[in-house]
Amino acid sequence: MTMPTPASIETVGLTRRFQSGPKTITVLDQVSLTIPRGEFAAIMGPSGSGKSTLLALLAGLDRPSDGSVSIDGEAIEAMNEDRLALLRRRKIGFVFQSFHLLGNFTAVENVMLPLELLGLPSPRQRASELLARVGLGDRGHHYPTQLSGGEQQRVALARAFAPDPPVLLADEPTGNLDGVNGQIVIDLMLNLRRDHGTTLVLVTHDPTLAALADRTIRLRDGRLVDHDATATPTGASR
Amino acid sequence: MTIPQYFRMAMRESRRARGRIALFAGCIAVGVAAIVVVAGLSTSVQEGVRSEGRKLMAADMIIEGKRPVPAEVDTVLVDFVAGDSRFTGQTVQRAEVKEFVSVVLSDDEKTSQLAQVKVVQGGYPFYGQLQLDPAGSLDLLLTADTTVVAPELMERMGLKIGDALRIGGSRFRVAGVVVAEPDKLAVTFALGPRVFLSPEGLNRTALLDRGARVDHKVLLKLPSGATSLDLTQLERAIEAKLPDAEYFRIRSFSEAQPALRRTFDRMGRYLGLVGLLSLLVGGVGVAQVARAWLASRMDDIAILRCIGATSREVVLLFLLQVVAMALAASLIGAALGTALHALVPTLFGDLLPPELIRPWQPAAIVRGVALGLAVALVFTLPLLVGLRRVPPVRVLRRDAEPVNAGLFGQLVAAILVLSGVWIAASLQAESWRFGTYFLGGIVASVLLLALAAMALSRLARLLPRDAGGVRLRHGLTHLARPGAATIGAIIALGLGVTFVFATHIVERHFGEQLKAELPTDAPSTFLIDVQPDQWDELATLLRSEGATGIESQPLVTARLAAIDGVPVDELTERRRSQPTADANQSGDRPRPNRGTLTREQRITYGPALPRGNRIITGKFPAGPEVPNGVSVEENFAGELGVQVGSTIGLDVQGVPVELKVTSLRTVDWRTFGINFFLFAEPGPLNDAPQQRVAVARIATPDLPRVQAKVVAAMPNVTVIHIRDVMDKVNTVLGNLSIATRALGLFTIAAGVIVLGGTIAATQAKRAKEVALLKTIGMTRRDVATVFAIEYALTGMVSAIVGVTAGATLGWAVISKLMELPWSLRIGELAIAGGTTVALAVVAGLAASARALTVRPVEVLRAE
Repeated sequence: MTMPTPASIETVGLTRRFQSGPKTITVLDQVSLTIPRGEFAAIMGPSGSGKSTLLALLAGLDRPSDGSVSIDGEAIEAMNEDRLALLRRRKIGFVFQSFHLLGNFTAVENVMLPLELLGLPSPRQRASELLARVGLGDRGHHYPTQLSGGEQQRVALARAFAPDPPVLLADEPTGNLDGVNGQIVIDLMLNLRRDHGTTLVLVTHDPTLAALADRTIRLRDGRLVDHDATATPTGASR
Repeated sequence: MTIPQYFRMAMRESRRARGRIALFAGCIAVGVAAIVVVAGLSTSVQEGVRSEGRKLMAADMIIEGKRPVPAEVDTVLVDFVAGDSRFTGQTVQRAEVKEFVSVVLSDDEKTSQLAQVKVVQGGYPFYGQLQLDPAGSLDLLLTADTTVVAPELMERMGLKIGDALRIGGSRFRVAGVVVAEPDKLAVTFALGPRVFLSPEGLNRTALLDRGARVDHKVLLKLPSGATSLDLTQLERAIEAKLPDAEYFRIRSFSEAQPALRRTFDRMGRYLGLVGLLSLLVGGVGVAQVARAWLASRMDDIAILRCIGATSREVVLLFLLQVVAMALAASLIGAALGTALHALVPTLFGDLLPPELIRPWQPAAIVRGVALGLAVALVFTLPLLVGLRRVPPVRVLRRDAEPVNAGLFGQLVAAILVLSGVWIAASLQAESWRFGTYFLGGIVASVLLLALAAMALSRLARLLPRDAGGVRLRHGLTHLARPGAATIGAIIALGLGVTFVFATHIVERHFGEQLKAELPTDAPSTFLIDVQPDQWDELATLLRSEGATGIESQPLVTARLAAIDGVPVDELTERRRSQPTADANQSGDRPRPNRGTLTREQRITYGPALPRGNRIITGKFPAGPEVPNGVSVEENFAGELGVQVGSTIGLDVQGVPVELKVTSLRTVDWRTFGINFFLFAEPGPLNDAPQQRVAVARIATPDLPRVQAKVVAAMPNVTVIHIRDVMDKVNTVLGNLSIATRALGLFTIAAGVIVLGGTIAATQAKRAKEVALLKTIGMTRRDVATVFAIEYALTGMVSAIVGVTAGATLGWAVISKLMELPWSLRIGELAIAGGTTVALAVVAGLAASARALTVRPVEVLRAE
């Protein structure tokens, strides 16, 4: 397996406003940061501080009201929906708090999906190998509803890493899991990240998990409040 | 993605969706079945008539007319064979057939029966089999004093083989029974059962020389080796060389049973639209099912988008599933329609000869499947295209707004649906005009139904909710804020109810009109074929038998020779060269139909018009300064293109007579009086060869006795009871109405499936609701009651709206179009309303069975 080039993430003056009736709410306000290749960054902050919004903007799932995002030097705010989809297909893996497996697909089919989208050869075999790596080699034919929460999240991990994405975005991946299962998932995710050299951006409430990160980005009321040297807060331009 | 990948993905996507697929299939299959059975039957009759044409005509070719076919035809036949070496030693075989209506009298002259007499000569039938009992040929059974009759006649007159009866004043012995006649179909209209006579037998009667109206036919069989080209050539040769060819109709076997084919053609188009209506009702359902289905897939679609599927890939993925489901559903429907077609002989008895039933109709199947696919696509495409708008950010924020479709997208969707319906309707009706009417009708009905449904839902909001207890309140709240889905279900079911109720109302009024006791001053009996010198005797006889309201008119038969000096030949030539001409096309007057011009006209004359006639322009009588005046019935005048002042030239059996139109009038045909299109003033026709027709009022119990006496005294007189004729018409209409009703049920079935589908589609939501209700202490029975009330209310709205719309439509047809007396019965309203509500409750509860049995903990844990 060839090592992909890890990507860097850069945002400049990233702002997201929502219209709520006559009022405009600024959920994310002038966030500028840079995450170098291969780094593990944790995003922390209280509920409503804009963590998930930031993640959605990084993935091109949402459009900024202002500012820019670039993945690996590619500015994504100018891309149309389909180019964004193709970018995600090639470069971004996802892990969610509520797993988000496709209910009509078996475990192995869920893992195959990104491989098939990329048109990679023998997707079923690769998917089975990945399931074996997350300890579910014998559960491939099960549907998500037949799996426990921890098992579902492990399938989701396998799916996220299947196409070897340079970037993995994780939204509170242990939020719906108990301590033991949460730990299993975290260990797996960090091991996979290390093996694949993936840039990881993780939203979490858990300080012990955040402590494992190369750096922590703290958000409050949509603003960057505190982070170490490599992420520079600038209020400047777009 | 590659195509096989799409297929694999689509397969996975649609797993574990048996319920949804069943609903989708149900919505489409019912309509497709209706379309396939109608198109199939119609084609199979056309095809059957074509391939069995020889049998159905008993000949290769028939020359028919109201007068004997001139002997010159033989020369044409001889020349035809002589000119061709292929036919050396062979001839064109011919058989002669005469048919007419006459009254048959029992030997004791006590009972009588109107019958259809047939006299054959030569090799009849050339094709097919005349089945007789005792078996054998007609020639063996028929002698100068025997007859062979239909079983119905034996039954009605209490005869058995060997008994005697009287026809045209002579005695005949029944030598056998005719079981089946190749050229007579059960569906064709006949005034009475069949009676066969030999030509010698006919000569023994007093019928022909006393002016019975006879259909003369010459049946031809071409020599072996003749092709259809020979047939056409012979037809042309006869047309060219037969004297007075315009008085005869020449048909080859490919044009057998024209009335039957026309009927099926028209019925096929009308019923084809009814079938399309049930498919469209199903289309509404498909849209509902698809909406609920796609709504439940939103999260997964967001995940797909998140993982990197493009919006085009997503749309294609779901499009593929829709096409696969619609194709499967249409094929099921086609199989169902084909099976129903095969069952027609079982369901409708011997209405059609079995050789005309050919259930395997690939063209009908292709049409049904194509329309099924098209309707499914037209109703789901707007939703599928809407999938482009699913925001991938839903994976993080469930409440993310869909990307706006915009006015343009909605407009495109509306245009797609409307043009799809328009094209489908035009194809089914084989006419763009009717397609347009159909589309207009559908759009108007849907708008009305939607408006009414919304208005009623408003009304439900205004009702006090505390009065009926918790269960009723719950049902009302559902009705008070129905989503788009409920409105859709109400429209679908309402459309079915509208159609079925409207046809029911129209058919009931027709049936009543036909079954109703005749007005007390209307005649009960027609007497035709009366010779002028018999009239005094007949009138005396009728009076002595207690008949009242006796009226009589002379009847002169003639042909049109010219209109306003233009010979009929020239007028028919114009008609032939511009066959589609109608009143509003170029030309200064409407061109009359060719048949109207060439057929035999029946004219009467007298000093005053009978009652029920009303002059609208001109005068009758016009006065001594305008001799030879004639009054023309308004519509007939329109057909001929004459006005007051026009001249009508007649050929009264060789004698030219010119009449001047002096007035136009309307006729109230419902009086059943003796009425004529042409009513001349006394004078020019007084000495023409003529008969008399008469009407009389005879009490029903006296009818058989009077008929027997009249026929015993004057065998040539034919006595026809209006009641009998109306019963015959009623039977024919009854057969038609069975077909309409059967297809109407398809629309109701589709509506019920749509309602069930709408409810089943909200299964998950309902399960949650059931769980909550059970948690707060409702028993299963309580919950079922709450749901039943909700469905009953939904059904009630459909019923109110559908029955009102149906009654309005029926009223428009009966009152405005047909001008018949209108009535509405509480009973039928109650039955229609009650049935709709009951269907809605049954379908609704069946569709929510799964939600009702759910255990609360399952749902609440999943939350």
